[in-house]
Amino acid sequence: MSGADLALGLTALAMLGLRAAGLAVAGALRPDHPFIAWAAAVSQATLASFVVLAVVAPGGVLATVPGPARVAGLVVGLGAYAALRGRLLVALVAGLGALVVVRAVVG
Amino acid sequence: MIPFRTGLRAALGAPALAMGATFLAFGAASAEANLAFGWALAASLLVYGMAGQVVLLQLAGGPVAGAVLGATAANARFFPMAVAIAPWLGPHRARRWLALPFIAITPWAAGMRHLPLRDPAARLPWFLGFALASWVAAAAATALGHGLAPHLDAALRAALLFANPLYFALLMAAELRVPAPRRAMLLGAAAAPLALWLPPAWGLLAAGLIGGTAAWAWGRRA
Repeated sequence: MSGADLALGLTALAMLGLRAAGLAVAGALRPDHPFIAWAAAVSQATLASFVVLAVVAPGGVLATVPGPARVAGLVVGLGAYAALRGRLLVALVAGLGALVVVRAVVG
Repeated sequence: MIPFRTGLRAALGAPALAMGATFLAFGAASAEANLAFGWALAASLLVYGMAGQVVLLQLAGGPVAGAVLGATAANARFFPMAVAIAPWLGPHRARRWLALPFIAITPWAAGMRHLPLRDPAARLPWFLGFALASWVAAAAATALGHGLAPHLDAALRAALLFANPLYFALLMAAELRVPAPRRAMLLGAAAAPLALWLPPAWGLLAAGLIGGTAAWAWGRRA
């Protein structure tokens, strides 16, 4: 077994542990317990941070996309979503299309 | 069976496309890093959280402990996510465990949005239908990406990777009308710069914890 395989195996176990701990803790609490509200707030805040970082300061391959193209993708996607009253798929494709077009223009 | 099928069908639109695009890019990146097809597939199915998968991919060549710790920190959100979704997974507490392997951003976000609108007995089957379809889509996209790696240039992969954050931005936009998620999202977005001072694996965890806790405290005072 290589180091990469071992790392994957241990991470998979850790993921199972995190998910199981969450279900176990929630199972012991009332649905309206403040801890459950806290957990929801932390999850939603994490998601919002993830989106902001992906647009403002991404890592990896996404960093090779110029900033204006990332912002255009987000703005056009959200605009299409609002204009089309919540048609996710069309808004998603519109946003990605805007990213590709602006990237081609900006270079 | 009907809620299961409704959930399955709900996954096979924008959610599968957004997730598929990201997992396709992950499959291609793992092929490029000389990681085996089986490794990439197992990472997508068993870790099943892109932030952690990316950290694992980047650190897989180095010390094992660093890679495991980094990937776990990057996906630590699974704990609060499991806590938050558990009450919506139907009235049978023991059966909720069927959802265990599928607690990840995409099914979680869809579940938090749709499950409260459904009949309690229909919630778990709906979630399982959605989650299984997403899981299979993620695996298929990873396999495809691994095979297609030589044909996917960096520009295309970058565009594919943007599908995921954009999809979550759209989902969040829909939730902005509800006060509690709105507070969490605004403060989470405001806390994002904190992540820039920390190593990437820990930054997201810190921003989410600080922004989310502040939003929760604000909600209790409101």
